[in-house]
Amino acid sequence: MFYRRAGIRHTTYRSERQLWPLPFDRTLVALIFALLVVAPLLVGDLYLAGYLLPWVIWSTAALGLNFLMGGAGQIHLGYGAVMAIGAYTSVHLVRAGTPLEIAMIGGGLASAAIGIVFGAAALRVKGLYLAMATLAMQYIVDFVISHVPAISGGTQATIQVPPVRFLGVPVVGNAATYYMALAVGTIVTLFMLNIKRTSLGRALAAVREKDYAAEVIGVGTLRYKLLAFWISSFIGGVVGAVLAVCYLRSVSPDQFHIELSIQLVAMVIVGGLGSILGSFFGAALILFAPIVFNNIIGGLSDALALPISTDLRAHVPLVLYGALIIGFLLWEPLGLAKIYANVRDYFLVWPFRHARR
Amino acid sequence: MTLNRRDFVAGAAALAAAAALPLGRALAQDKVIRFGMLHDFTRVYTFVTAEYSQGQRDYLSLVNERGGINGYKLVAEVSDHGNDVPRAIETYERLKQQGAVLIDPLSTPVARALVPRAMQDQINMLTTLSGRSDAADGSVFPYVMPLSPNYWTQAGILIDFFRQQDKDLKGKKIVVVHIDTPFGREPLPIFQALGQKLGYELQTFPYTPPGNDQAAIWPQVRRARPDWVVFWGAGVGQTVALSEAIRNGVRMDRVASSVWLSESDMEVVGKNETKGVLKFEACAGGREPKLIQDILKDVVGKGKGAGPEAKVGTSYYNIGVMMGAILAEGVRVAFQKNANGPITGPWLNEGLRAITNFTAEGLMPGMTSTKTDHQGGGRGRVVRWDGAKFVPVTDWFSANQDLVWDEIRKSSAEFKASGK
Amino acid sequence: MDFFLLGELAINGALVGLMYALVAAGITLIYKTSGLANLAQGAIAMMGAYLTWAVASGLGAPMALAVVLALVMMFVVGLLIERLALRRMAGQPVIMAIMLTLGLEIMLRGLLPGVFGSAVKRLDVGIPQAPVFAGEFLINRATLYGGVISAVVIIISMLIFNSRFGVFMRAVSDDQTASWSVGIRVERAIAVAWGLAAVTATVAGILWGSNQGVDWSLSLLLIKALAIAILGGLDSIPGVLVAGLIVGVAESLATGIFDPIVGGGTRDVVASVIILLTLLIKPHGLFGREHIERV
Repeated sequence: MFYRRAGIRHTTYRSERQLWPLPFDRTLVALIFALLVVAPLLVGDLYLAGYLLPWVIWSTAALGLNFLMGGAGQIHLGYGAVMAIGAYTSVHLVRAGTPLEIAMIGGGLASAAIGIVFGAAALRVKGLYLAMATLAMQYIVDFVISHVPAISGGTQATIQVPPVRFLGVPVVGNAATYYMALAVGTIVTLFMLNIKRTSLGRALAAVREKDYAAEVIGVGTLRYKLLAFWISSFIGGVVGAVLAVCYLRSVSPDQFHIELSIQLVAMVIVGGLGSILGSFFGAALILFAPIVFNNIIGGLSDALALPISTDLRAHVPLVLYGALIIGFLLWEPLGLAKIYANVRDYFLVWPFRHARR
Repeated sequence: MTLNRRDFVAGAAALAAAAALPLGRALAQDKVIRFGMLHDFTRVYTFVTAEYSQGQRDYLSLVNERGGINGYKLVAEVSDHGNDVPRAIETYERLKQQGAVLIDPLSTPVARALVPRAMQDQINMLTTLSGRSDAADGSVFPYVMPLSPNYWTQAGILIDFFRQQDKDLKGKKIVVVHIDTPFGREPLPIFQALGQKLGYELQTFPYTPPGNDQAAIWPQVRRARPDWVVFWGAGVGQTVALSEAIRNGVRMDRVASSVWLSESDMEVVGKNETKGVLKFEACAGGREPKLIQDILKDVVGKGKGAGPEAKVGTSYYNIGVMMGAILAEGVRVAFQKNANGPITGPWLNEGLRAITNFTAEGLMPGMTSTKTDHQGGGRGRVVRWDGAKFVPVTDWFSANQDLVWDEIRKSSAEFKASGK
Repeated sequence: MDFFLLGELAINGALVGLMYALVAAGITLIYKTSGLANLAQGAIAMMGAYLTWAVASGLGAPMALAVVLALVMMFVVGLLIERLALRRMAGQPVIMAIMLTLGLEIMLRGLLPGVFGSAVKRLDVGIPQAPVFAGEFLINRATLYGGVISAVVIIISMLIFNSRFGVFMRAVSDDQTASWSVGIRVERAIAVAWGLAAVTATVAGILWGSNQGVDWSLSLLLIKALAIAILGGLDSIPGVLVAGLIVGVAESLATGIFDPIVGGGTRDVVASVIILLTLLIKPHGLFGREHIERV
């Protein structure tokens, strides 16, 4: 009833290869996008700065990582370091006077340059070993950033982001920062949506499945693995810059530590490897789960007047967060995207439930 | 097709979670002053947060038991941010929505991250004994209130104590073992400047956070044959530092620490083995001070304590009480200045910047805050561990403040130039 | 170059490295049988330490009894983890199983300090604090005892691996299907491997806990242990012993030599650099076996 498929006839290849052939899908996407655009007018500061803005930024980062992990099949436990490089480069460039747009691209390029070094490890090892190599690089980048005062900045080791203008609009206040993050997120999402339909996407899929077989049929694994790392790190660098300018407004080394990398990998896996919608869902779940649990537990203990010690109360979200990751991996390894796909499939044929899709 | 149970449950859970997002609790419009106590209970500051928060809340309960201030009750909204900036920002926004006029992050990285927002939203931010040391300069940081001796002051006081003990530090050797984070490196400029001024040789040994493996540091310390050793860490770094110092034969009575050393640390290392260790103290410890006695009688005695009774009177508990008392005094002075003023951030700000010679009934040295001095005078004392408790070896004093304020002004000028 | 200082650092470093190697031995044990890297090893060590503390302080039992009880309980915990969690991940790509152990680590890191309290706890196994002097060299008594005990436990696990049961485990790590077909109970071998890994982790947790006090930071033992496991070869227990000595000595010497130049913090970077160099030069470690990927 909802997803009307009757009467849809394609007369050109182009219309058949649309991203969303069903009009219901298209309307849904347009509706959500419209809601996101008018969000600052609808919701208060709390939702905007506390929930929507971090969600947009972290989803974009998860998309970048998903490109690498789901698209090219390489494990990357050092994405936080990549974002850190982008953030620091762009903040230093902005402080030196470059316009914000150029500084963001500069941050992306710096991340990509160093990301390729991470990628060089991928050429030698795979799977678990690649994960360890990227983990080691995360620590090394952390060390370099916090020990070179020229990068990390002074005794206070926190660099403020000066007031900047993005495309002519001063990036000040909740609405402007939100729109900037939304713009960057939209561009990355469009890129990711279309990548599977290009030769690059197909080459990466070949490399992901069996890299020596890909080599045999002429898809150069060396070239494509490095390219995957380059693109993914570029996105990571740009997102790091957006994170620093829009959300944190100051950079310090302890904001891009190993926890961030693990958080991003968890987002990608819980959301579903290779799925764009999954990145958004995964980001929402991992980002908001501790907060929501905190609120629920706080509300419960207030309402029922349970004598839970503050210590235990504070630790329960962590327990639930870990249990959530374990639960997803045990019961739905394909992630939230698969759950959504199942729900969508159900509504696709509703109310004719006896039909099989 | 059918919807299997798993997907149904997942969909329902998603809806329930969406409903659990805070939609603003129904706020009682009666007379409350809300403080947002967002601390780190689970990650890095675990060693101090539980006791500190307990002390703070117990004191506020005491004030409320006695009828509040001008009829207003002081409410502490406690939550955990786990030293994670996104969670801290979300909690901050939520507290702002609920009308908090002051926040207490008790975490240096989170405090630094929230400084621009607090200044813009005009919400007071308390940074107890931590945060930005240069926030003592009230002219650059109007809404950031340390209201307690910052790390530079603590370093200055320790060095002055050494000088008092040794009469002259010229030619002596002082070793600083510190955690390799901005917090650990913070007092180093003061140690270096004082080294040049007083003529002692300074050697620093950083250890990687969190400091549970210092086996390679202390043999070097021993070889350096220092006259005084300062160790500057937190939590497990402190206990391991002391254990390693004992195992390497360093004399305990020449070892001193910042304020972050507590009775439970000494217990972990060994009460007898650590006899003689010195530390900086910002307020009196133990259960003798009158305020602690009052709390024991009126709050804990009536079963309204915020935590286990065994923790009442520990160092961190008393620091919490001290900060609670300062907050209450700030509210009282704010009422004096502006009895009918709507309870907002700027209203409380006026009060917090005008506290004069407040001693919390003998718990702390007299503190005076002004519009330009948010530190409160920078007085503390040095205490020594005697095997059972910390015993004061000096009176409340302040030292080297000129050097400290030079550093403060230099750093705040940098912030003013580059920040907003 | 102060050779006495370097010598002292080297000796102490080697002993500390052995203590880290104990955790790495557990990781290697699990990798040998299940083929996945257990990122929850540090958290399991922390759990062992917390359980020992709970039995000793909470129930007032003598320390020896507490240690034995904790070891038995943790063996069962290892069996349970394998049975409940890992068995369902049998066919999945290895990154999923690794994420599962990561989730377990996060959960344990929240559960244990939450239940037992987050303040640092004292765990006193009776090691005196006075230093031991060997000529000019001062040896840290706690690390001496710790290092020796770790070496003994690692050697015991090597001996177990050479016993009949160890042959079963080696067969399972080689080829699970073939093991099934000759009648070896693969599930039981893997479960016992997890149990033993949990036991070694508990011993390491108790040693480190008595060294530094028991709190959440015990789970950070993981990183060093991973470095040692990778350097030694993820499927070689003797390699763990050698790699532990190398990493421990390298770290201590780096702290002694490079810290004054760079300004500190080289300790952790040494582990990362070792991982990186090993993976780039000899990915399977010093003593590891080449993993042939079949087309």
